[in-house]
Amino acid sequence: MKLVRDVLDKKLTDREDCAMGRVSGLVLHVGEKTQPRITHILIGGPTLWMRVHPSLAALATRLARVWGPKRTGPVRIPWSRVDTVGKNVKLDVIARETGALDWELWIAEHIIERIPGGGKEEEE
Amino acid sequence: MKKILQLALGIVTSVGGFLEIGSVTTAAQAGASFGYKLLWAILLGTICLIFLVEMSGRLSAVSKHTIVDATRERFGFPFFSIVMLAMVIVAFLVLVAELGGIGLSLQILTGIGFPWWALPVSLGVWLLMWKGTFSLIENGASLLGLVTISFVVAAVKLHPDWGSTAHGLLPTMPGDQKAKYGFIAVSILGASISPYLMYFYSSGAIEDKWDESYIPMNRIIAGLGMTFGGFLSMAVLIAAALAFQPRGIDIEKFEQAALLMTTALPKWGFFLFAFSMLFACLGAALEISLAIAYFFAQGFGWSWSEDLTPSRDSRFSFVYTLIILLAAIPLLFGVDPIKVTMMSMALTAATLPLAIVPFLFLMNDPIYLGKHRNGWISNTVVTVVIVISFVLAVISIPLQIIGG
Repeated sequence: MKLVRDVLDKKLTDREDCAMGRVSGLVLHVGEKTQPRITHILIGGPTLWMRVHPSLAALATRLARVWGPKRTGPVRIPWSRVDTVGKNVKLDVIARETGALDWELWIAEHIIERIPGGGKEEEE
Repeated sequence: MKKILQLALGIVTSVGGFLEIGSVTTAAQAGASFGYKLLWAILLGTICLIFLVEMSGRLSAVSKHTIVDATRERFGFPFFSIVMLAMVIVAFLVLVAELGGIGLSLQILTGIGFPWWALPVSLGVWLLMWKGTFSLIENGASLLGLVTISFVVAAVKLHPDWGSTAHGLLPTMPGDQKAKYGFIAVSILGASISPYLMYFYSSGAIEDKWDESYIPMNRIIAGLGMTFGGFLSMAVLIAAALAFQPRGIDIEKFEQAALLMTTALPKWGFFLFAFSMLFACLGAALEISLAIAYFFAQGFGWSWSEDLTPSRDSRFSFVYTLIILLAAIPLLFGVDPIKVTMMSMALTAATLPLAIVPFLFLMNDPIYLGKHRNGWISNTVVTVVIVISFVLAVISIPLQIIGG
């Protein structure tokens, strides 16, 4: 498996195939005597914008402090929760419990559901 | 049987959805200013579009990825963010032009100025997105758009000299007004080769759950649908050449463009023109709004489908709601939709390499396409047309701006 080609920027889905963003970054543990290993997948937040320019990451953090679900850091998913790596990266988690859907739920609750016909997020 | 019906519907909707304010305005300007001389630009643009649309469908059918998905995954977020910025800005300008086109159509029908229509039109487009399904947007608006076939009737009724029109299919340089000629040629290419159409088409293939068995159907839809669509653009140019050039009129106002229909069809021409533009721009506005929302949702890995209740893909729904609202603002202040159209079409051509070059890499990548990757013919045709468009854009846009 090649990390950049096969994992970074891949779409993430939870155990019910619910879309939960893309892999924005990876956390590696580099030990002195052990081989480097991935410990976490990072989703969204400043990690993503840091890859373009640090000032964009700072701006994203500042905006997240004043608006939205007030999540400033990226969502961290332990690598041990990775189920399969294929077309998507499938995780053995429930998306809404990880924080990856905070923005989705916040926009649904504060904007979309208030418009007639927007429906309720919980509805099947 | 189901596939034959899908095929027929695909071709019909490709034809009905082909024309929009960009293709009509640029073709009409070309005909009015240079007679048949710019028919080659429509031919070139249409050939390139046939290849690109076929590729877009093939990528989705084989890899189950949309173009946006694959671009983000293959090239990474930093490069993707540049493509996204350019594509969203250009698509937004085209959306302003299309909403303006609906407003202008209503203006000539009712006498009420287009700025007054900006909000009702945006609200109407948004409502169709909010309540409608993907097939309503894909098929409904395009079927109404079949009224644009009346441009062919108008062109034929004006009895063009078919020998001269055939000459127009070969590029020639004009004696004077070279900058204007180049600018209109670029705008025609930009109007024909619309990246938003590729994003929409590839997302549609995923919405409609295409697999490899759809490859032959995709090829026929792209080939026949876009060819017939190209004929419609050519019909607009031919009708404009005959209706305007003998009178030496340069199209500056939308109302003048109606002449290309009323000259041939004095009784019904005016209404046919107004409704053709209304439905053509409506279909395009819906497709562009969706394409922009798809771009964000697929790029960031959100849930997306036009068939879901808005709250179930709230970020996707929020993007098109916001974009449609923002696009109404310039029109409210009376910004001329025709000027926005010409500039956005030229900008589309200038930014084509950014959209098409990574796409060509994807289409040649065995990871995504396996044995279905591009052959040398598709690669060559698309590369040549994109290079021509880009070079023409780089030369003629500054000249046009300097020359006003």
